[in-house]
Amino acid sequence: MTDAAHPATHARAVDGRGARTAHVHPAPRAHSRTSLLLPAFWVVLALTVVGAVRLSGFVRTSFAELPVATAVAVGLFVCYAVPLWLFVAALDHLEREPALLRATAVAWGGLVATTISVPGVAALHNLIAKLVSPAFAATWGSALAGPTVEEVAKALGVIAIVLVARAQLNSVLDGVVYGALVGLGFQVVEDIAYALNAVALAGHGDSVRPVIATFLLRGLLAGLWSHTLFAALAGAGIGYLVVRTDRSMASRVGAAMLAFGGAWTCHFLRNAPLPSGGLGGGPWLFAGLVLKGVPPMVVVALLVRAARQREADYNTAEQAAPNDTRIATAAGLHAFGSGHLRVKGRRYPFARAGMRGRRAVRRLQRAQAGLAVDSSRGGSGFRWFGRAPRERSRLVAIGHPEAHAAKRRHRSGPLLAAALAGAAFAVLLAVWLAILAVCAPSL
Amino acid sequence: MKVARGRLLRNVAGTLGLLAAVAAVAVGLPAADRALPASRPVAAAPYLVGAGVTVIPPPGALLDVTATRPGADHGTALFLLGGVRFVVVVSPFSGDVEAAAGRLRTKITGVRGNELAGAESVTATATGLAGRQGGYAAPGRLGRYAVFRAAELAIEVTVAGTDPQLRATLAAVEASTRSIAFRGAAP
Repeated sequence: MTDAAHPATHARAVDGRGARTAHVHPAPRAHSRTSLLLPAFWVVLALTVVGAVRLSGFVRTSFAELPVATAVAVGLFVCYAVPLWLFVAALDHLEREPALLRATAVAWGGLVATTISVPGVAALHNLIAKLVSPAFAATWGSALAGPTVEEVAKALGVIAIVLVARAQLNSVLDGVVYGALVGLGFQVVEDIAYALNAVALAGHGDSVRPVIATFLLRGLLAGLWSHTLFAALAGAGIGYLVVRTDRSMASRVGAAMLAFGGAWTCHFLRNAPLPSGGLGGGPWLFAGLVLKGVPPMVVVALLVRAARQREADYNTAEQAAPNDTRIATAAGLHAFGSGHLRVKGRRYPFARAGMRGRRAVRRLQRAQAGLAVDSSRGGSGFRWFGRAPRERSRLVAIGHPEAHAAKRRHRSGPLLAAALAGAAFAVLLAVWLAILAVCAPSL
Repeated sequence: MKVARGRLLRNVAGTLGLLAAVAAVAVGLPAADRALPASRPVAAAPYLVGAGVTVIPPPGALLDVTATRPGADHGTALFLLGGVRFVVVVSPFSGDVEAAAGRLRTKITGVRGNELAGAESVTATATGLAGRQGGYAAPGRLGRYAVFRAAELAIEVTVAGTDPQLRATLAAVEASTRSIAFRGAAP
């Protein structure tokens, strides 16, 4: 081994940070049959079936009246959801959530939350008109009724996951993942409904132009800071409430309410008629959309980054526990504890030893993650104990024994960030211009 | 495989809480909405429908606030005269009055059971907005429609009720329709 430092030293170092803020409760192996004995499982299943029946009725009617537009809307938004699903699922890459629970979260968002939100939002809209005035309801109804009803409906999805499989929500990051998946399901179904409403309102028969316009506007331009993001924020609060059992109930409830309030506020700002005007609002409306969306996006990104770091710290400590440098060295642990260093740790051997080196480091990292998660669950880690040294031997054989990033310092970070931000802005601008050029006349 | 009694009880309590929250949103809010009356008396004076378009409601009409939504570039107002529904809808429209009438006819016949009845005729408001008017029939109800153009707007009027209700209120509704005026700049 090239590294003389003992892994346990690094483990203790990260343990301090982890113990201060993290709290990752080891998730037991998924035993889905236990959930069958819980009343929550059957209630969630029943609500999902009711939602599915209602949604299938809507889709069937739409297919009968607008077959082409419906097919295009469903196809576009389902395809749109796939990369988001993969991205959200990969947030907790060390300990991915069980696929069944991820699917349950999406189903709650798409089937249950939408079903209960439709009458709820309409009723609250009417109540605002009755208690204040129709003019106030026309201006602020969506900004008030939408978040109030929809954020509650989505947050209930994360609570449903806690009731069905409490042990699987074992960190704040898990709350973010389940919340985001609930929001994703909601967003996709809502966008399909909006697209088909736009077709009906346009009055040009079975036309796909309003569908494309809705996809560009609600999917690409405003979709990145939509329900997925809001529900992720609320989910983080529920995750904190469930996981931080070392804190007083008041502070946990307070944190959960704060996160929910953040989600509500983000949603309110998105729906608020500021800046006013329709698509013809021009560059100011575009700037308004970006200004409304970027701050919550940055907040959630920072939250996710912190939660991932905490979880990585915990798993790094677990991995270091065997004190075996064939499994992890201090430099390797340092890289393991950070997402971008793990990526750099794979890029570095690629530069030195080609694909062989990259593959070997990836396999070693996978074995390290498996060992950490298995150990945290009280398992023997037997499967991974054998695999990690084997991958280490491969790395030694190709002359690259360490799974760490290059030590060479370079200053490309800020430049890269600026380039990415510029590219993102250019893409959004292009989408905006596409909406104006292609679809605005039909809206 | 067993679940500890304490966990089971906590799960039952949590599940009941979840169901209560779902019911509060899906059933409770609509129930609260139904508990409050939707209609309000409205003065027989110019009422802003939206986008600078006004109408003088028929005397004694009630305004349904749940279906009335004024806006800067569009608007809807629903007046109730006993069992007669008198709806004025303003929306952006760039075509001529014939095209606006065609769009309204398509909307009317798009509702299952509705059929156009009689010939369409030329009409105008007191302030000189040109338009078209006609009639339609629905199961158990009769209806009349009118459409006007103002700047870049279409103003659609539909009136529906049973035959006796419509006969009793038609004069007031026609007077109200003639009172439609455009008082602002188009968006």
